[in-house]
Amino acid sequence: MGNLKIGIPQALLYYEYFPLWKNFLESLGAEVIISGPTTKEILDLGVKSAISEICFPVKVFYGHVMSLKDRVDYLFIPRMVCVEKGAYFCPKFLGLPDMVKSSLSSLPPLIEPTIDIRKSATSFKNSFLAVGKLISNNSKKIYQSFYEAQKSFHLYLQSKENELNPEIININQQYSTKLLQNNMKNPLNIALLGHSYLVYDAFINLNLISKLKKTKINVLTAEMVRKQDIERKLKRLHKPIFWTLSKKIVGSAFYFLEKRIDGIIHLTSFECGEDSMIGELIRQESLKYPTVAYTEFVFDEHTGEAGIDTRTEAFLDMIIRRKRYESNHT
Amino acid sequence: MKVTIPNLGNLASIAGKSLLSNLGHEVILPPSNTKRTLDLGVRYAPEYCCLPLKIVLGNFIEALEKGADTIIMVGGWGPCRFGYYAEIQRMILKSLGYKFEMIVLEVPRGNLIRILRYVNLLRNKQSLSSLINAGEIAWSKVVAIEELEKEALRIRPRENIKGETSRILKKGLSLIDNTNSIGEIERIKQQIIDDFNKIKVKKNKELIKVKLVGEFYVALEPFVNHNIEEKLGYLGVEVERGVSIKPWITSVFSLNFLKVGYQKEKNPIEKAANPYLPQSVGGEGQPTVGNVVLASEKGFDGAIQVVPFTCMPEIVAETVNKKVSEDLDFPVLTLIFDEQTGEEGLNTRLEAFIDLLKSKKYDRHLTARRLAS
Repeated sequence: MGNLKIGIPQALLYYEYFPLWKNFLESLGAEVIISGPTTKEILDLGVKSAISEICFPVKVFYGHVMSLKDRVDYLFIPRMVCVEKGAYFCPKFLGLPDMVKSSLSSLPPLIEPTIDIRKSATSFKNSFLAVGKLISNNSKKIYQSFYEAQKSFHLYLQSKENELNPEIININQQYSTKLLQNNMKNPLNIALLGHSYLVYDAFINLNLISKLKKTKINVLTAEMVRKQDIERKLKRLHKPIFWTLSKKIVGSAFYFLEKRIDGIIHLTSFECGEDSMIGELIRQESLKYPTVAYTEFVFDEHTGEAGIDTRTEAFLDMIIRRKRYESNHT
Repeated sequence: MKVTIPNLGNLASIAGKSLLSNLGHEVILPPSNTKRTLDLGVRYAPEYCCLPLKIVLGNFIEALEKGADTIIMVGGWGPCRFGYYAEIQRMILKSLGYKFEMIVLEVPRGNLIRILRYVNLLRNKQSLSSLINAGEIAWSKVVAIEELEKEALRIRPRENIKGETSRILKKGLSLIDNTNSIGEIERIKQQIIDDFNKIKVKKNKELIKVKLVGEFYVALEPFVNHNIEEKLGYLGVEVERGVSIKPWITSVFSLNFLKVGYQKEKNPIEKAANPYLPQSVGGEGQPTVGNVVLASEKGFDGAIQVVPFTCMPEIVAETVNKKVSEDLDFPVLTLIFDEQTGEEGLNTRLEAFIDLLKSKKYDRHLTARRLAS
């Protein structure tokens, strides 16, 4: 059966699970084709083919599906329902393959494993093994591929966590007094929080990460916080959050607030249901830490580069000015 | 303890109030939903939150102003945002400086001590038998209200004098509100149904039949949906509701094992949705799709889906419904409600949709007659 072309749209959960999917599918001998980074054409295709009420990230996903569909034998669109106890994905992920099938025509067949660990038939392992059977007859090889893919995925996640150098955060404790004496030689620590498909999609967020890095800012993301730290911070909530992706955002926001980094930018997308709720959670919590600047950027298909640049500059100016003021008055 | 609950059509203000006052609480209902309720909610709730959260927040503010000190709200565990409403509302109200206690009714998870305290507060030192009794009275009020409202939807498009049905319904509801015995509720229900049947109706009128599906709160709260059921009735449309509070209560509190008015076996609505949306997406997403499929099989002329702006499950359903509608040649109108929804815009869209259904029905008759001759 070799060299089956399987397409993976580079949107939504691609930014969470791609290494796992790719390693698994490729070691079974399939050729994995991704739609590539988001472009203006992809965005336009998505906006045209989705209903107007749907959230912006799903429109982007539609665009990626449209740009892939004529180049591949299969489209890989898993239905992620539940990967940990007591938490789900957003309803739109639960119905993603159905939505795609309902509104786009002339699609190649979909590979749509359901991953819902509450039932053993749809556990991570069993769903992947079922996908493997579509590609290969060698069940031993399928097992092997799955375990190897899973192992390397865990290593990948860990390497992300290690990027958060503990020193950065510790230095910051004495920041407010020391920083300005050596004239801002220490970079600012700014956390970019939000769904990974916003934070890492440079087209959607208009290159925010590289722009910040260019101004010598230390960019922190939720992936850099250790899972146990996130879980520990979440215990503080009066009621647990029941969305897997939001848990990570809220937990890491609390973590960064407690470490008193210089600022947090919460990236949200227009019409995102989860963001509307957790935005309020983070905002209320941030009021308890007046030294940490907090702002929220909303992205949609009309977001203009100049607008975001202005807001970023204003946000950074505000932090720097405050630091200068504080160091002059202490 | 002065308790309050959010408005929800006639259900909360009659059945909910009955349950709480039978437990010996002083009940302070929020004033009926008005523009002010909405404005308060919009002002303090996060911008992209769905409409029900905003209005219920407005309800709470208005009830706290009237002197309530305990809020009772229902919760849940996702994936729909509804499960987190109470928590966000509690935070907002606290940050506004109100002093109150919030009792959230949901399936306990984790904090058992908190749940037990809530249950004790609610039970108010009443014996178990009076608790059960209060529950039974409230439940029979729910059943009676829903039955009368359903009957009114059938009669209203047929009535000769406009407003007759609504008048009798209103009388019935206030009688139910003022009684406190199960036998009496049953008697009033029969009486009102008899009254309904005495209403003079237009003869031989073939009506357009529409299924009303969509998000639970918007479908049941007339202030939010601009009284859509009455509007459709006056347009000569027979409406059947696709949402009911009964299965909702049983599912929110995981009481399915009680089988109260709700079968436990594979739900026919889910089964109907299966070819299009095999996965439950929270809220009423999957039932909305299932109800549309069933309505097309049961001889309805069309369906109307009501959705609060940015509702996650209903947007999935809306997308899938496009395909359902195409495949089954069955018209579905999706109406999205938010704080900007204007009444005239809604009227125009409803009239246009009903005209479309009428002409479609007429065409079908013509073809049938041609085939017969």
